[in-house]
Amino acid sequence: MDGFGGTTLRINLSTEEIERTPTDPEFARSWLGARGFVSKILYDEVPRDADPLGVDNLFIVTTGVLTGSFCPVGSKVGFGCISPATNGHADSSMGGHLGPELRYAGYDLIVMEGIAAGPTYLYIDDDTIELRPAGDYWGMGSLELEKRMKKDLGDDFQIATIGPSGENGIVFSCITHDFGRQAGRCGVGAVMGSKKLKAIAVRGTKSLPVHDLDSMYKLTYDIIQRTKTHPNMAPWQKYGTAFFVGWSNERGCFPTKNFQETYHKDWEKIDGERLVEDCLVSDKACFGCWMNCGKYTRARIPGKPDTYQEGPEYETIALVGGSCAFTDINHVAYANHLLDDIGMDTMSGGSTVAFAMECYQRGIITKDDLEGHELRWGNIDDFEHFVRMIAARRGIGDIFARGTKGAAEALGRGTIDFASQAKGMEFSGYDTRWYPAQLLSYCTCDIGAHHSKSWTITTDIELGRDTIEGKAEVVIYLQHIRPLFDTWSCCRLFWGELDVTPEEHVDSIKHLTGWDVTLEECMRVSERVWNLNRAHFIERNGGPGRKFDVAPARHLDEPIPGGPAEGKVVGRENFEAMLDDYYANRGWDEDGNPTREILDDLGIGYAADNLEKLGFLGKPIPGGIPKVRGRELKPKAM
Amino acid sequence: MRIEVKKESCTGCRLCEQICTICHYKEINPKKAAIAIEPHFPEPGIFEPKICVQCGICAKECPIDAIHLEGEAYVLHADECTNCGICVEACPFGVLYTHADVPTPLKCDLCLKCTEVCNTGALIVVD
Amino acid sequence: MVIYLRSGGKLRDRLKPDVDIYTRKVEVEGTPTLEEILEEIGIPDGLVAFAFADGKVRRLNYRPVEGDVVTLQPPVSGG
Ligand code: SF4
Ligand code: SF4
Repeated sequence: MDGFGGTTLRINLSTEEIERTPTDPEFARSWLGARGFVSKILYDEVPRDADPLGVDNLFIVTTGVLTGSFCPVGSKVGFGCISPATNGHADSSMGGHLGPELRYAGYDLIVMEGIAAGPTYLYIDDDTIELRPAGDYWGMGSLELEKRMKKDLGDDFQIATIGPSGENGIVFSCITHDFGRQAGRCGVGAVMGSKKLKAIAVRGTKSLPVHDLDSMYKLTYDIIQRTKTHPNMAPWQKYGTAFFVGWSNERGCFPTKNFQETYHKDWEKIDGERLVEDCLVSDKACFGCWMNCGKYTRARIPGKPDTYQEGPEYETIALVGGSCAFTDINHVAYANHLLDDIGMDTMSGGSTVAFAMECYQRGIITKDDLEGHELRWGNIDDFEHFVRMIAARRGIGDIFARGTKGAAEALGRGTIDFASQAKGMEFSGYDTRWYPAQLLSYCTCDIGAHHSKSWTITTDIELGRDTIEGKAEVVIYLQHIRPLFDTWSCCRLFWGELDVTPEEHVDSIKHLTGWDVTLEECMRVSERVWNLNRAHFIERNGGPGRKFDVAPARHLDEPIPGGPAEGKVVGRENFEAMLDDYYANRGWDEDGNPTREILDDLGIGYAADNLEKLGFLGKPIPGGIPKVRGRELKPKAM
Repeated sequence: MRIEVKKESCTGCRLCEQICTICHYKEINPKKAAIAIEPHFPEPGIFEPKICVQCGICAKECPIDAIHLEGEAYVLHADECTNCGICVEACPFGVLYTHADVPTPLKCDLCLKCTEVCNTGALIVVD
Repeated sequence: MVIYLRSGGKLRDRLKPDVDIYTRKVEVEGTPTLEEILEEIGIPDGLVAFAFADGKVRRLNYRPVEGDVVTLQPPVSGG
C-alpha cells in the first residue's frame, strides 16, 4: 500500500504472541493515522470498565499517514491508551526519529495488550521482532537508559524509554526519545510502565513506498526553498518556542505561582534569550525538519553536576519556571532534565509541584509531610526532593502521583479550587482568565486540558478578550484542524508559523498514497474522532457530558491580582454561556451529549446506539444540527 | 568544488539523507544515503555529518577502476562495480556506506542536492 | 524615514505587504517606537511577540532607524 509501512502488529505481552497483518487500507483511509487509529481502536476494543493501569487497557504505538515521508514534516509518532489521568481516550505524540524508523521497518501501527511477566523491551530490527528481558534496565532513568541502549544496540536504533515514574504508575509519566523529545501528556508513560514495557528499540532499513515521488519531491522541495526565506524562519531557528515567555507575560497569561498570578516579574531571567545566551549547546531538529526549534542545552548550578537536556521549551518554562516561580534559567533547565530522566511530563509534573507549593504556602502540607524538607517557591533543592518523593511514591508523594485533581480529592480542604486542570489533566502554560476561549478549549478538550487541540490566545485578542461572543465556533474549528496534525502525524508549526497551507499537507498525502483525498474529508475525519472520543468518554465515565466540562474555580471566580491582566476573570455565567454555545454549534444537546443526528452524519451511528442504551444520547435538536460545525477565523486562524 | 561540513551547525534533521536517496534511488530511505549524520548524545550534544571529501583514495584502491574522476567528483559506476568492498575498507574517512539492498557501495557523486535543502549552514559548497 | 516591516503567518495579512510577499515599506515621521508604528498601521496589541532587526531581538519599544528591515514575529501557535 503506497504511503504505508504495510504491516500492523498485534502483540500480546502476557502470552508473548506476535501477530502481523497487512494494514487495512479502508481503516487507514477512514481514520488517517495516529490519533484517528487510536480513537477507533480504543473505542472498539477496550472494555468500558478497564482499569487504565490494568491488564485490559491497550498500549498503542502508531504512525500517521505522513510519518517518514518527504513533507513538512513527517517526524511524529503517536501513543494511545486509556489515560490514567482522565479515564478517557489518550493520544500523545512526539517528534524525533522513532516514527519514521518504524515506517522504514515496515510497520504502521503496533497494538499491545496484556501485561508482560517481567520487565521487557520491544526490539524491532526490520522483520525481527522480539520481546526481550529488560531486568537490567528497570529502574534506570529515561535519558540514562537511552544512552545505555544506544551503546548496547547501536546508534542506528531509535529508542523510546520510560523512567522510574512510568514504572511506578505516576499518572503524568511520559515517554522519552532522542534525548529530549517526549510524548508527554495523558500519562502514556504510566500505561507503558503498567505493561512492564521499559523501552522500544527500532531499526528500519526499508524504503517507504510512494505513489508519486516526483510530485512529492517537487512540492516539498519548493516549500523548503520558499520557507527558508520566510521572515519567521531565522527567529524560530534561533530561539524555538522559548522566546514567547516575554510575550506571554506582557499579555498577562503566564502561569506564575500555580496560576495565582499571571505575570512573573523575573521572566527575563528565565526566557528564551537567557536560555540561548547562557545554556545553548546546539540546535536540534526532528527528522526531516529544516526549522530546528529544539534547543539542546547545558544547565550549570554550583554544587550540582552539569546536566544536558533538550529544552526547556515554552511549556516547560511556563509550568516549571513560572508556575514554580524560578528565577534562574539554569534551574529551569536542571528541573527539565530531572523530570525528563525520571520520566515525568514537564507540564503536568511542573504543575503538580506548583500545586503542592501552593499547598505548602497555605499550610495544607508542612515539613512533616515532606520528610523534613520545605517546598518553597523557586527553590530547586526543594523541587528536586519533592519530585523524587512523587516518583518513588514516598509518603505524601503517593497522593501527588495522582496529579493535581487526584491529589486535591485526597487532600480536600478546597484545594480542588486551585488545581488548574480539566478532566484530570493539568492546564498548558497559558492562564485563561483574560482568555475565555482558551478556558473553553481546555475544558472541552477530549484528552484533558491541552493546548495542542485548541490554542486561542491570539483568537481571544482578535475577537476581544473581554467578550465571549463568537468564541465557541472558532474553538470547534481549531479542535478539528489542529488535531489533524496529530492524525496525519506531522508537525503543526509549518502551518502555524511558516504559511504552509493545510491544502499543501493534503497534497503531500495525495502524492504519497494516491488517494483522491481533500481537506474537507480530513476535517470530517477529525470531527468524527472528536465525537467518537466524546461518546467514549461518556460511556466510560457516565453522563451527562456537561458534568465533565468543568473549569477550576480559580479561573472562574478569582480575579487576577496584578500585572497586565489585573482584575480579569471569566465568571461562571460567561463560562456556562460559552458551553451552551459550544454544544449548540457541535450538534450536541444542552447536556453536552452528542445527538444521533451528528453521530449518524459522521458515520458513527453505532456510538449513538451505545449512548442510547446508557441513557446519555443527546435529545434531538429542534431544527436539526448545524450544517457546518466550527468557523475559521479570517485572517488565518493560528 | 567540494562540500565543506560545519558540524557545529548541524541539527541532525537528516533532510540531507532523505534527499540523497530520493535523488539517487527514487526512494525514501535514509539508510541508503551517501551521507550519514552521526549523533553524539547526550554529551557533548552535537551532530556530525559524514560525507565524502573526494580525496580519490578509493579510486586508486579499486582493482577494476570502477570509480572515475568526473569533473571534481569521484563517481562510482554501478555497472562496473563488483561490490568487492575494497574501497569501503580503504576510505580513511569511513564515508563509503553500504546497504543490504544495494549491490554497490553508496558513494557521494557531488550532486549537491543535500546542500540545497540543508537550512543550517552545516553543508556548504566551496570552490 | 523609510523602514521595512516583514512578516508571515497570521500577521502577513494584517501587514499588507507591498514590496514582496512578506515585506511592506512604511514611511514614518520622527523616531517612533515599533509599538507606535504598529498602532499606526493597525496591527493589534498582542499579535506581535517580538521583533528581529539586524540579527538581534528587539522588543516593541525599539526605535527603528532609517532603512531598518524589521521582522515581526507572531506568537507561537502551540506545538
Ligand atoms: S541537512 Fe544539514 S542540518 Fe540537516 S542533518 Fe544534514 S547536514 Fe545536518
Ligand atoms: S569515498 Fe572516501 S576514499 Fe573515496 S573519495 Fe570519498 S572520502 Fe575519499
